[in-house]
Amino acid sequence: MRIFILSVLLSLAHLNSKAQTDTIQIYFRFTFENDPIQFNKYYLINNEDSLEISALKFYISNLALLNKEEVVWREELGYHLIDAAFENTAKLNLTIKKDLFYDQLSFDLGIDSLTNVSGVMANDLDPSNNMYWTWQSGYINFKLEGRSNQSSARKNEFMFHIGGYQFPFNSLQNVNLKLNQKDSVNIELNLAKLISEMNLAELDHIMSPSKVAVEMSAGIAKKFQIMRP
Amino acid sequence: MRKSLVIFVFFIFLFSAFKSLDGKLFSIPKGFPEPVYDFSKNVMTENKILLGRALFYDPILSRDNSISCSSCHSMYNAFAHTDHDLSHGIDDKIGTRNAPALMNLAWQKMFMWDGAVNHLEVQALAPLSHPKEMDESIANVILKLSKSPMYRKLFFDAYSDTSITGEKMLKALAQFQLTMVSASSRYDSVMNKQTIFTVQEESGYSLFRKNCNACHKEPLFSTYDFANNGLGLDTTLNDLGRMAITKDPKDSLKFKIPTLRNIEFSPPYMHDGRFKNLRSVLNHYTKGIQSGATLAPELKATIVLAENEKVDLVAFLLTLSDKKFTFSPDLNYPRELFLKYQTVIK
Repeated sequence: MRIFILSVLLSLAHLNSKAQTDTIQIYFRFTFENDPIQFNKYYLINNEDSLEISALKFYISNLALLNKEEVVWREELGYHLIDAAFENTAKLNLTIKKDLFYDQLSFDLGIDSLTNVSGVMANDLDPSNNMYWTWQSGYINFKLEGRSNQSSARKNEFMFHIGGYQFPFNSLQNVNLKLNQKDSVNIELNLAKLISEMNLAELDHIMSPSKVAVEMSAGIAKKFQIMRP
Repeated sequence: MRKSLVIFVFFIFLFSAFKSLDGKLFSIPKGFPEPVYDFSKNVMTENKILLGRALFYDPILSRDNSISCSSCHSMYNAFAHTDHDLSHGIDDKIGTRNAPALMNLAWQKMFMWDGAVNHLEVQALAPLSHPKEMDESIANVILKLSKSPMYRKLFFDAYSDTSITGEKMLKALAQFQLTMVSASSRYDSVMNKQTIFTVQEESGYSLFRKNCNACHKEPLFSTYDFANNGLGLDTTLNDLGRMAITKDPKDSLKFKIPTLRNIEFSPPYMHDGRFKNLRSVLNHYTKGIQSGATLAPELKATIVLAENEKVDLVAFLLTLSDKKFTFSPDLNYPRELFLKYQTVIK
């Protein structure tokens, strides 16, 4: 009998907690100028440069909501591998308390140093996702690969594997976005803008933690923005 | 009634505490410090160790199924590779460093000669994907393992789950390697007061304490720090060691200090295998030290050893040999398992 009452109470509590939550949907949108990006398509820039994107993958972690600069919600131990080639990975559902006030979204682009030194991890952090360096420990926080006639590398390829968790080459970057809408957030990463700031003729690859990688990670973090409706 | 319940719960707690310390599968040898490895995040079980052991001895980890971990880490050589100064991998390719001996890994924080790897569980990724070692990708290994009836069974037994993932594979490999504990040498028997050194060994031990113990610290016989031990740069390799990882000139020519345990079984010596025997090593420390900005402070003053002292020191070093370890049936090639599944291992 006691058990029965307990289970009734528990299920009521469960129902109650369900009713007290909201879901925010976060979509990452990858664009090239004004259109969604297409992989392995040749883009022509200023009628002279050609560009093709073949891979865009990155980690998002430490998601938080803020209200008036104060954290009101934080996702513990949430590590999300976003692969622009797979739309389902670019959508995150955050479950928060009902009627929570927030005006800002914060996340880290990459994986924190503690996780980087804590051995092998599962799911999105599994090294078989090809976002982990093998010859030197550490996650690749952000990966962008493609071709450009500007690149002098073999087959005009460019390859940016941005990572590094140790001082002075820590490439983890925080992104803070003011929110102008509720329930659903569209975050845009415009590849045309990002690549226009890169000098592919001079630098066509980064494959290890370095000063250049840190600089590039800071530049990438600034390109995430709330999509204008 | 309530009291007996409390006592019962207490005993359950005690029992589970002992269980979680893996008393049987891993125990801290007498006199050893606390391990660095966090066992709570990868609780050892016999089935996981067996899976790790199969993986360690199976060339399925390499691109053309020709090279296993044991190809360069043979138990009889304390899991090092004798007769090769530099490691010898796939397609007979030669690497740039000497395969190190593997033992007492639970006490080590950084791996590889330059500390490129920060955790035991991710170490295997390095040789697995190196083009001169196994030249394979972990994603493809997972694919190969998923097609193997033996591994489907071993993974299921280990994890009670049909999925085979990189995380599970690497954790199992780490578990097997954690069982490579060497603490049963003559030196250990002397320390545990079961026997005594000979006069010559005792003399060698004093010399060791005076000249070597700062870096090759007892009882692990290494601090596992990085140091420049005064080896001249081999210009055919131009290996700057730790500096390649940290990009800090202060780390130039520094390499991980290896243990001296089982040194008898693991020649050649040094990161590039330049010394074939212990005599050459001692000659290096007495008259071969190249000074330089990063030279270990302990080596700045010349080490003086008379010829008879060198003999005594070598006699002591031989007391670090642990044949229980190098002939351990639990660490050896899992012949019966492979025979049962008729896996062909070269």
